[in-house]
Amino acid sequence: MTQAIIESARAQGRTLLTEIEAKQVLEEAGIRVSPARLAKTAGEAATIADGLGYPVVLKVVSPQITHKSDVGGVELDIASAADVRAAFDRIVAAARQHAPDATIDGVAVQRMEPPGIEVIVGMTKDPQFGPVLMFGLGGILVEVLKDVAFRVVPLTERDARQMIHEIKGYPLLEGYRGHDPADVAKLEQLVLQVSAFVEQHPEVAELDLNPVFAYKDGAIAVDARIVLADGA
Amino acid sequence: MPISSDRLRRALNPRTAVVVGSKKADGYMWLRNYSTFTGQLSSVQIDPNEIPGIEALGVKNYTSLLDVPGEVDYVMLAVPRPVAPRVLADCAKKGVGAVALFTSGFAETGEGEGIRLQDELLRIARDGDVALIGPNCMGLYNRRLGIRQSAEQGSGDAGDVGFISQSGTHAINFSLVGEQHGVRVSTSVSIGNAIVLDVPDYLDYLADDADTKVIAMYIEGVRDGPRFVRSLRRACSQKPVVVWKGGVTAAGARATASHTGALATSSAVFRAVLRQAGALAADSLEDTIDVVKALLYAKPATGRRMGLMAMTGGQSVVITDAFVTVGLDVPRLSGASYAELASFFNIIGGSYQNPLDMGGTIGFGGSAQTLGKLFAILDADPNVDAIAMEMAAGFLARRWQADPASLDGLLDSLVAHQQRSAKPFVTILQPQHVEEIVAQARRRMQERGLAVFPSFERAARALNRAIDYHRFRAGMDVP
Repeated sequence: MTQAIIESARAQGRTLLTEIEAKQVLEEAGIRVSPARLAKTAGEAATIADGLGYPVVLKVVSPQITHKSDVGGVELDIASAADVRAAFDRIVAAARQHAPDATIDGVAVQRMEPPGIEVIVGMTKDPQFGPVLMFGLGGILVEVLKDVAFRVVPLTERDARQMIHEIKGYPLLEGYRGHDPADVAKLEQLVLQVSAFVEQHPEVAELDLNPVFAYKDGAIAVDARIVLADGA
Repeated sequence: MPISSDRLRRALNPRTAVVVGSKKADGYMWLRNYSTFTGQLSSVQIDPNEIPGIEALGVKNYTSLLDVPGEVDYVMLAVPRPVAPRVLADCAKKGVGAVALFTSGFAETGEGEGIRLQDELLRIARDGDVALIGPNCMGLYNRRLGIRQSAEQGSGDAGDVGFISQSGTHAINFSLVGEQHGVRVSTSVSIGNAIVLDVPDYLDYLADDADTKVIAMYIEGVRDGPRFVRSLRRACSQKPVVVWKGGVTAAGARATASHTGALATSSAVFRAVLRQAGALAADSLEDTIDVVKALLYAKPATGRRMGLMAMTGGQSVVITDAFVTVGLDVPRLSGASYAELASFFNIIGGSYQNPLDMGGTIGFGGSAQTLGKLFAILDADPNVDAIAMEMAAGFLARRWQADPASLDGLLDSLVAHQQRSAKPFVTILQPQHVEEIVAQARRRMQERGLAVFPSFERAARALNRAIDYHRFRAGMDVP
């Protein structure tokens, strides 16, 4: 499946996998993701939502639209099939209005995961050391404070553990002011799974799981982005 | 086509050496640097005006490398840039062990002719299987054999620290400044543009070198990342490796490009590489020497709980802050220790919570017997992994100067403790207002095998990283 997805993206001249494709690839690697399914019609969206369970999130799927919320392409916390149908129509209309030239493949439907502590796991390629994993807290902590840790692939268990402990915001993962702690063992496992995935797939040039929701008993990647290397 | 370890061993432990291009204008620098060489030294110089000066130094001169009789293990090439390829070809023909090329003006200039000549050197070295050190380098320092990078470097005995440097200046300064701090080089290589022999080659060699107990390096960049990581991991599994990386800021990285042409990797990624391999990061010459010193002199430990000793209350406070700031712990002592301390510790103007504010108790200058009791208590205390002691140089140095036996007596206690105890022990001797006297005291302490640091912060940072290494080797988490 992974190989087929990669080949089909390349055949279409794309290096960026859609969120749906990226999540399928990651799921096959044993990484827990919040699955997204493509709906081409409002009716399909409602059927998928019924299957996933409510509440759900709808996001526009278009190779040309990268900042989906800027064009009104994202709706959160949708609680019923009727609302899903209405949201589908609103999203498609908004996307057509804001990006008239974009191809709209449909709308991705995924479960609205319960909130957890937001973390991110990413991979970029260093020109000298090859794939490098990044771990950090999500939201403004990563954007403003650059509170992230790096490790070169492949990681050992000790590397994964130390990487997570290294960030300054680590106490947030231990639970603060009555919030649940994060399942750090699961986060370590996630980092090691990503390391193994990256090692097995040299054709992947960039990867972002952002955000990952960390709970007291598990973690789930809510959004995922995979960029393939050019050519080959 | 990597150079075999046997080849490198021969090259870095030469029995015969030749300097090509020694001249009066630079004071026959290379022949003078090699005046302490224990093997056979010869010169190659074709300029008849230079030959008498060379022979006056007692060195036999030849007009071609090919005329030098017997095997040549090491050649220092200091010839003008355009001639370098031709002489390198002679080295290949002669089958020399290694060539260090002092000459600069190659790819590091970024200019066409320099790049072209460097490519030519590389081709000649590859075709002729020449182990080339440099170009643009100060070559080898083998202390035992008296092959030096500077005439100020010591020789004749073996040191214990291997050094790899992308800068000749830092290679020389590490050896000279290090020696002032009790850190002596075994083998140091200034690697220059490293077009043939590169950091991993030297790292592999030093990892296996019996004299070398600790490896340190100054580097600005890495050519083959995966190979560097492999060699670094292997070396760290055998002995500590301290890495001082130059060009960690954007502006600094720009400077490395014109110095050694190094590519920039983000410093965060580079630090991650070091941590994963178990190497220790250092950020200056002094810092590198400090960490090496802690690794050489302080016994290995994996715990971070400090027992601190200071002579006065004010120092007790700031030594604690300094050690805690770097991530070391200053815990309360055991009940047994407190019970024993309560029986004799002078708490008027002192305290023994940890730190031991002990000036009043040991009679300031140091009653050997009482000091010995304090050492024994900390040594036995299960809450203490390592011990640091402030020497009150500001108050005591003039007394040590007037009465050297008073320092010797104090040092006897310290040395006796260090010999008895398995816990790492570091001392802090602040220069204060009596720098010259303290410099002498520091040397006497180093001669007696004590780890001496000029500030609490430097002692704490150095010891903390030595503990990092020992934890890494023990398979423990490092932060």
